[in-house]
Amino acid sequence: MAEEQNKKPCRFWIWASASVVFRLILISFPGNLNLSSRPEVSTPLTSIRRLAEGYWLKQASMSPYAGSMYHGSPLLLSILGPLTVQSIKGQPSHLLCSLVFVIADILSAMLLRGIGQKLQMAYGLNARLLGFLKSSRDKVILPCGDIAALVYLWNPFTIVSCVGLSTSPIENLAVVLALFGAVTRRVPLAAFGFVMATHLSLYPATLAIPIIIILGYGLDAPPIKLFLQTRSVENEKSSTSTVSKQAKSKQTTHLPFLWKTVAHFLFWVLLWSLYVLVLCALSLNKYGGLEEMFKRTYGFILSIEDLSPNIGVFWYFFAEVFDFFRNFFLIVFHVNVLFMLLPLVIRLKHRPCFLAFVYLAISSILKSYPSVGDSALYLSLWALFVNELIDMKFSFFLFCGYLGISLLSPVMHNLWIWRGTGNANFYFGNAIGYACFQIVFVVESVSAMLNHDRALRRSSSNHGEVKS
Amino acid sequence: MKVLTLVMLLCYSFAFSSGDTTIHTNNWAVLVCTSRFWFNYRHMANTLSLYRTVKRLGIPDERIILMLADDMACNARNEYPAQVFNNENHKLNLYGDNVEVDYRGYEVTVENFLRVLTGRHENAVPRSKRLLSDEGSHILLYMTGHGGDEFLKFQDAEELQSHDLADAVKQMKEKRRFKELMIMVDTCQAATLFNQLQSPDVLAIGSSLKGENSYSHHLDSDVGVSVVDRFTYYTLAFFERLNIYDNASLNSLFRSYDPKLLMSTAYYRTDLYQPHLAEVPVTNFFGSVMETLHTDSVYKAFSSKTSNNKINSEMPLNQLSEHDELQKANIQNDELKTEKQKCPYTQMRVDLHKKLEKLENVDTVVNLGIAVMLLVVMVSSSLL
Repeated sequence: MAEEQNKKPCRFWIWASASVVFRLILISFPGNLNLSSRPEVSTPLTSIRRLAEGYWLKQASMSPYAGSMYHGSPLLLSILGPLTVQSIKGQPSHLLCSLVFVIADILSAMLLRGIGQKLQMAYGLNARLLGFLKSSRDKVILPCGDIAALVYLWNPFTIVSCVGLSTSPIENLAVVLALFGAVTRRVPLAAFGFVMATHLSLYPATLAIPIIIILGYGLDAPPIKLFLQTRSVENEKSSTSTVSKQAKSKQTTHLPFLWKTVAHFLFWVLLWSLYVLVLCALSLNKYGGLEEMFKRTYGFILSIEDLSPNIGVFWYFFAEVFDFFRNFFLIVFHVNVLFMLLPLVIRLKHRPCFLAFVYLAISSILKSYPSVGDSALYLSLWALFVNELIDMKFSFFLFCGYLGISLLSPVMHNLWIWRGTGNANFYFGNAIGYACFQIVFVVESVSAMLNHDRALRRSSSNHGEVKS
Repeated sequence: MKVLTLVMLLCYSFAFSSGDTTIHTNNWAVLVCTSRFWFNYRHMANTLSLYRTVKRLGIPDERIILMLADDMACNARNEYPAQVFNNENHKLNLYGDNVEVDYRGYEVTVENFLRVLTGRHENAVPRSKRLLSDEGSHILLYMTGHGGDEFLKFQDAEELQSHDLADAVKQMKEKRRFKELMIMVDTCQAATLFNQLQSPDVLAIGSSLKGENSYSHHLDSDVGVSVVDRFTYYTLAFFERLNIYDNASLNSLFRSYDPKLLMSTAYYRTDLYQPHLAEVPVTNFFGSVMETLHTDSVYKAFSSKTSNNKINSEMPLNQLSEHDELQKANIQNDELKTEKQKCPYTQMRVDLHKKLEKLENVDTVVNLGIAVMLLVVMVSSSLL
């Protein structure tokens, strides 16, 4: 057993380093294999060409947002901009940028592993508390941290968005950093990750809810009723006097909410956001300041100005909607994301990490400009819950669906744009299929999680009956 | 009280409608050839000759709207490809390398013509196709083609009627799109086309009266068609003698038309035009010679409203810079005095803003800021 456990980390490191080597090999191909021009990989928000353009505009003393090319953060421009310009002789262009993205991927994988280890420990602890395991050897708990990290590193979507030079790896790193900080209770780190993720792309703002729940209540756990059931059963067994029974039955059904930690988190969020805003205001001082930045980044995301095709569903719709109804439909589409937040919180508040996964999955389906980099993130977060989601239905169907869509998408794009034998409907049909598969995936994983909780409840009540 | 303000407004409008307050600032030319097909070669040659004359005398391409069917130069029946002549001696190739046609082919329609005149275009129409004249413009409108009693035929498919033209000119006057307009028409029964005109400051001349035809001048046996009309031929003969510095008057132009040579009566209408024809140089319309006023002082736009002008325009240049500095110092003193009364917060913001403007290496500061941020993150995450 000990040998196996030693072998497992070794195998993990072997696979991880193999994926890094694979990426480096792919990067060394000239022209990044034309992946940076694929609409699935680079969107108007994540394209490195637009970043290079924004950097050039900045160097030419113009606003980086002039000409509606660059729509990202000015801080990213300061970090990645100089790297897009420098090229080492004999090496493919943008090599330094690719290395930055590879490092971002490695960091995300390591952080995912850390999150997974914490979740695994919590899962084992809860299982023992509920009386399922007498020792840790009864039931095999899968090492979800390693699995999640490897899924992230070897997911073709991640590899493609890393080699295709989109800025999704950095956005994913920020999100994973926020989750890691929350899970390991490092409040400034969580706040930093949260602020950076929201700053880079607007949608991770929804992660505020799961992070606050993690910091307030703790990690994923089965519903509290189960704990109270087992405790009441044990109490019935242990003490027979009615007085002690009554005293113990008056226990509260609520976990204590750690307000102090949450207040700490909010304070750090405020601090980091002020700092980031000050830096942005400094760098955009002469070019319109913060107002210009908000209009061009968040305003661009919310108003869907760019209708070039991508793997999402909005471009086709907004190309044909009449101007009179455009604002109405913008509100509808954005509220579509917002109105799902509250019911999910109510239902899944005992599992905040899973809630974070569901939020990220929904926002990557219903984003303004989705790309495969977003899918890469939520697929690897899904892998963190292999222990609970092991009975998920339609897994093979979904896997085939994802595979088919990702293979057909470049074909349809080619037929439409390059050969002219297809039209936009081909590519949009593909995008709709992708959205359907993603929705089925999210729905099935949520129902699998809820079934897991129901199964726990049934087996715990069975346990109680059997014992008494 | 209301009656008084109404009377004041009326007086103002009268004062401005006489056109005395605007000065002549630019010249425009709208040259329209309304015919197509090979046998109407002479109409295109007319228009191109006038285009050449008007350019030679100073109006630039950006102020000329040239509307041609443009199917002569590269016509399959043209023995001299890419060349258009207005004389059988073939001395002058009108279709040289410097002809900018704004509306060509099927774009020469009555609708487009009226849109050009009134300025009511679709949003996508480029500036080169718009008549961007203002209240100081003198516009020359030259039209040639086949016409009749109170109409002008456009490209064999539609016609422009005299009241359409009069309405367009009235709109132009209302919108102050010209200071003076000269209409020159070379068609049969041309004078009937401006029968309905009523707007002031319009001068119109047509090549023939009602019931008369305008004839072509001569046939070019090489090209095979008539190459120029009589009216335009004699107009050009007048202008070829001129250069940009001559100040021949409109009167001499109009008197140069001999009814016997034209075989029609060139009729002109001056009842809507106030200045005496003998005092108006032809370059007011056919060329672009401006009145220049020499001044040593700082340029200011010629408008009657100079209320916000702090700088005295009569000061000579060398004293002007000192005056500017004094002005700036005064303004700064005023600002400081007002600022002391404001709260210190805004004072701090203003100071910060000034410091930021002086800061040149913003990028290094931002990079430093990012590095500090990452450092703080690492430190705080390891400690807390």
